[in-house]
Amino acid sequence: MYKLKLIPVVLSVFVVLFATSCKQAQREEATDLLSDAEIAAAVRLDDEVIREMISSVPNPVEMSSLLQRSGVVYSQELLNPVNNINNYNTNFKRALNLGVYGTNLVYMNIYDRTIATLRYLSNVRDLAADLRVEQFFDYQTLNRLSESARNIDSVLFITNTGFDDMSRYLIEQGRGNLAVLISYGTWIESLYIATHVRTVPPNRDLINTRIGEQKKVLDNIILLMNTYRHDPNFAELIEDLMRLKREFDNVTITYVYREPTIQEIDGMVVLVDNSRSEVNITDELIENIAKVVAEIRNKIIS
Amino acid sequence: MSEEILKALMQLFAIIAKQDVGLSVNEREFVENFLKQQLNESSVKEYLALFDSHIESGKPKKTEENAEKPDKPRLTSVKDSVKTLGIAKKINKTLTQKQKVVVLVRLFELVNSDKNFTPQRMAIIDTAADVFNIDKDEYKSISSFVVENDSSNLDFQDILFIDAEQNSNNESHFIQSAQLSGSIILLRVKSVDLYFLRYTGESELLLNGLPITNQRIYLFANGSVIKQPKGKPIFYTDIAAKFLSDATAINVSFKANNINLTFPNGYKGLRNIGLEEQSGKMVAIMGGSGAGKTTLLNVLSGIDNPTSGNVLINGVDLHQEKELIKGIIGYIPQDDLLIEELTVYENLYYSTKLVYRDLSEEEIDEKVNKVLTSLGLYARKDLKVGNPLDKKISGGQRKRLNIGLELIREPSVLFVDEPTSGLSSRDSENVMELLRELTVRGKLIFVVIHQPSSEIYKMFDNVIILDEGGYQIYYGNPVEAVIYFKKIDNQINSDIGECPRCGNVNPETIFSIIESRIVDEYGRTTNNRKVTPQEWADHYKSNEKQLEEQQEFDPLPDAFKKPNWINQLKIFFSRDLFSKLANRQYMTLNLLEAPILGFLLAYIIRYIDDPTSNIYVFRDNENIMPYLFMCTIVALFVGLIVSAEEIYKDRKILKRESFLNLSRSSYLFSKISILFIISAIQAALFVLVGNTILGIKGMYFEYWLIFFSVSTLANVLGLNISSAFNSAVTIYILIPFLIIPQMVLTGAMFSFDKINRSIGGGREKVPIIAEVMPSRWAFEALVVNQFVNNRYESQFYELRKMESQLNYMNVYYIPELRGFVENYRSRVLADDENPISRDNVQLIYNEIVRENQSPMARRHNIIFEKADQINPDDFSMELANEILLYLSQLQEFYRINFNNYNETIDQRISQLVSTPEGSAQYQQMFDDYFNTYLSRFARNSMAPLPLVRLGNRLVQKIDPVYLDPQDRRMLSFRSHFLAPNKNLFGNLVPTFYFNVMVIWIFTIFAYVALYYNALSKFLILLERSSNRLKDMKIPLIKKRKPEESNENTTQE
Repeated sequence: MYKLKLIPVVLSVFVVLFATSCKQAQREEATDLLSDAEIAAAVRLDDEVIREMISSVPNPVEMSSLLQRSGVVYSQELLNPVNNINNYNTNFKRALNLGVYGTNLVYMNIYDRTIATLRYLSNVRDLAADLRVEQFFDYQTLNRLSESARNIDSVLFITNTGFDDMSRYLIEQGRGNLAVLISYGTWIESLYIATHVRTVPPNRDLINTRIGEQKKVLDNIILLMNTYRHDPNFAELIEDLMRLKREFDNVTITYVYREPTIQEIDGMVVLVDNSRSEVNITDELIENIAKVVAEIRNKIIS
Repeated sequence: MSEEILKALMQLFAIIAKQDVGLSVNEREFVENFLKQQLNESSVKEYLALFDSHIESGKPKKTEENAEKPDKPRLTSVKDSVKTLGIAKKINKTLTQKQKVVVLVRLFELVNSDKNFTPQRMAIIDTAADVFNIDKDEYKSISSFVVENDSSNLDFQDILFIDAEQNSNNESHFIQSAQLSGSIILLRVKSVDLYFLRYTGESELLLNGLPITNQRIYLFANGSVIKQPKGKPIFYTDIAAKFLSDATAINVSFKANNINLTFPNGYKGLRNIGLEEQSGKMVAIMGGSGAGKTTLLNVLSGIDNPTSGNVLINGVDLHQEKELIKGIIGYIPQDDLLIEELTVYENLYYSTKLVYRDLSEEEIDEKVNKVLTSLGLYARKDLKVGNPLDKKISGGQRKRLNIGLELIREPSVLFVDEPTSGLSSRDSENVMELLRELTVRGKLIFVVIHQPSSEIYKMFDNVIILDEGGYQIYYGNPVEAVIYFKKIDNQINSDIGECPRCGNVNPETIFSIIESRIVDEYGRTTNNRKVTPQEWADHYKSNEKQLEEQQEFDPLPDAFKKPNWINQLKIFFSRDLFSKLANRQYMTLNLLEAPILGFLLAYIIRYIDDPTSNIYVFRDNENIMPYLFMCTIVALFVGLIVSAEEIYKDRKILKRESFLNLSRSSYLFSKISILFIISAIQAALFVLVGNTILGIKGMYFEYWLIFFSVSTLANVLGLNISSAFNSAVTIYILIPFLIIPQMVLTGAMFSFDKINRSIGGGREKVPIIAEVMPSRWAFEALVVNQFVNNRYESQFYELRKMESQLNYMNVYYIPELRGFVENYRSRVLADDENPISRDNVQLIYNEIVRENQSPMARRHNIIFEKADQINPDDFSMELANEILLYLSQLQEFYRINFNNYNETIDQRISQLVSTPEGSAQYQQMFDDYFNTYLSRFARNSMAPLPLVRLGNRLVQKIDPVYLDPQDRRMLSFRSHFLAPNKNLFGNLVPTFYFNVMVIWIFTIFAYVALYYNALSKFLILLERSSNRLKDMKIPLIKKRKPEESNENTTQE
């Protein structure tokens, strides 16, 4: 008897359930975006070119270790604040700042700042996850390694390989634009740190030279960016880079040729290239470059 | 009679006597006789003096008045009227209605003693009767009964003549007694069920051993007997039956044949009990402790079934045809079954409502008040009953109220368990008198009684005496019982049942005879009885009169007109509601519990993640997932606690009401409705407080629904345990058993991937053991709902879901699958003899078939045609290459579409954030609705492996909240944890609603279990089987308990 009385209750539950399943419509709309493989295949760019150009962009480790060797004091204020991650909602921003945070991470690791490192590490992981390339960051391992300063080499290695693999993968996946942005992010952040650290004069020169050398890299980057200039975001970046380029145009690099010599290192005969590029860069120029770099970088991280 | 009353009476007598002609000799004699009956010699003098002084005080005035107007009959003086009024009111306060009727009769008698019926005297009596609230008709009949001598003037229903010859009266009753000289006239005062007797003849009659004079009016009390020199004695029951024979009560024949009862543990509770009774009898069941009195009562009343034998009521088997009989049996257990929070009136009121469907509110009110008056509880009707520790009304009043509950219904057969235990002798007598009155109305009453006083003992018509082990050793007249046992014991005076002088019967004699012990040679009593129960029983059997076989019965009385289902529900509901509302502590605690818990919980876990900021950001709160978990646990807890004692608390009332044949479902529904209302309020308060503090926006209804659903389920579960277990402690011990597994198997504390594999951990679907945990469904519903339907995520959810699936296929799934095939290729190239295992082939086959069936692949026609060739025998390099080709096609499809989706989402967001306001708005929504940590949990981003091989299948472990159930067969309802949708007959239903439905299905199941008492039946089953186990060890026990084994053998 009471069973009969329950029937309406059960029925009404079912009615509610089916009424709510009209979400179906939204789902179908989502499925409609699926396109067939052949159509999109035509738009792909020449991966090889991009890959090579990206690999010509210097690794942040080089710059950071140079800074450390030059006795530059670690400065937290130079880094992109951890909480800025909340502002990065689009792939464009995420990719750029993945690069930025990556550089920060390397910089911190080189200076053994392990506690703060964890937060940067998690930012890198989160941005990678947002970009759906989290598979290249073994967060658990990195997290474990970061606990001890002795593992810095491993951390740097894994971070580096992670970034490299990520780039390669993104290009492979037809998302080369993101690879370019990540790469650009790391570069501009390195340049920013280099131009903004405080140093004592003898070491300054070494750093300034390294900054000057970025003239060539910048050209490459502009070239790389041009591939995507149809994207308004990229166009804006290129515009900024052109301003930077104008400053860099004042830097002169002269190539001094010297005879190579043959030396024996560790029982192996090696040909040593004695030629050198000499970079001509004034302090004023550095200042100008630093100003533009800061503008560009601050725009990126905002 | 108290001093005060006696004094009041003296005054009243004096007032009447001094009217007009004044005190006559007869009158004074009457007063003196009256006092002699009540008091000892010296006190009589004292009161007589008091009476005289009252007379004197009025006299001078009287003589003056007499002198002035000697001829005119004067009116009663105002002063006397006022005095009368005052005295009557005083009497009103202390005497029961019965006693007041007796007083009234005495007043009449006083006047009658001199036959001086002047208007003044009558006016005084009138006034008194008025104040006493005596019914007009009854007043009239009392007056005629006292005054009239001519039998033809006494022709009305409440009169009975005992005479040698029938007179010509039509209305009055008649009993013939051939050798009686003159006639005995009996008056019945119906409202109080009192009988008065007067005799007009000259023979020497004895009323209860005392001579009757024709001058006086006697109270014919319960159990009285009139003995005449010749002829049969006339018993009280004969008289009562005469009056009742015309009443509407239907004659009920109650017969028990050879009742045997063996307890589950093999112990014999009752042996060969037989008895036969008719309406209008009160039967005592007596025996030493452990003799089986209550057991017998339970069997006779149909609560317990006998192992053999039957109980027939008008030929209908009580145990086999319960439905036919249920309404006519009443049961008053030893414990009180009052609702402590309700008042005396309300207790009766709801009982009345439950019993009478057709009565209007006024009629019910009237009925309740009438019963209250007859119980002597009218003045206390608005007091709360209270519990024995917090007494508001006395024990006797409680007991009377208990009986009142049955009085209202008037069942034909009433069973009463130890009505006098714990009561003073005065209260006991009151209670027993109440019961005795019921027999007069044609009820058959069985009373288990322990150590009754002589007064009470004599009230019984019959007594059943049981002895240890459930032997029936006597059944018959109570006074005869004493003689019976004395005779067997060879005592002197064995033919005298009661004390010849005082008329007292000492039932204790019986038990001292029955249980007397053998004295050893040192004069010490041993543990062995002189006469074993078995011997007593044999003795009784040899004397037993054969029970008559009655063939024709009245039809069974109609069960009372109980209200229909809905009305019962309403009555139960309001009774429960009012008793809850009356318990202020309970109400406040219940209402405050949820919001306080909500506040504590939410306030404690509300924190600001960023040490440099002072603004709470919902997105950064890591405790949202634990909060959801706690919501379900709190809901369970609160729901269980509220209900765990509900039925247990009511169990005594339920036991009684089971005789009312009321609908169990309407009782349960009323319980459930109230609990559900409480739960709904608690849920609302909890969610309101908790969610507001934590800043969970726009989800109030969903949280409420889940909290409410879980609470209600817990309510019904609680009702289950409260109806199955028999102590509050057990119930509270049980609660952890119900809660802790639910906590463990929610999926929040322990991932289902990381629990013991033997209970289903680490599989694709949720472990079965967790599927039966309501908490898991609730928690999953909350998480999925919070993640999917928050205002932020819902903008992108469907897109992100596709994106996630495409990404999974592209990044993890296809490379993994490809790995198996490539592995094969390289091993073939390395000339491995067994390049691929059967399992791996099976896995490749399974996965490709599944992929072929996936809607996405079908729609875009990316299908591997040669799937059926994938088997260990046909697997070749060629096939491997084809598979690889197919997989790269598939991957390309997924890759491109992933990019599509990824870009689409990115574009949408870019659009939203393109302006500074838009960006701020987006950020705000992101902060307010999205929770990073919940998202991590829902997407299982910490999974060590994105996919795992289970058997010959690849199972996705990341992004469960973006993955619809994979198993879409019609009847497959189970899925992986945190699936956004569930499979219901092949359709996808949002998890939130699906899970709510599951919880409600649980609730319905729990309700059905409750309705059928499944849990307690299960417990009984357990007990039985454990007893069976014990039985196997019986030889051991036998050695230790020789007595018990003895019994076992004698029984066979």
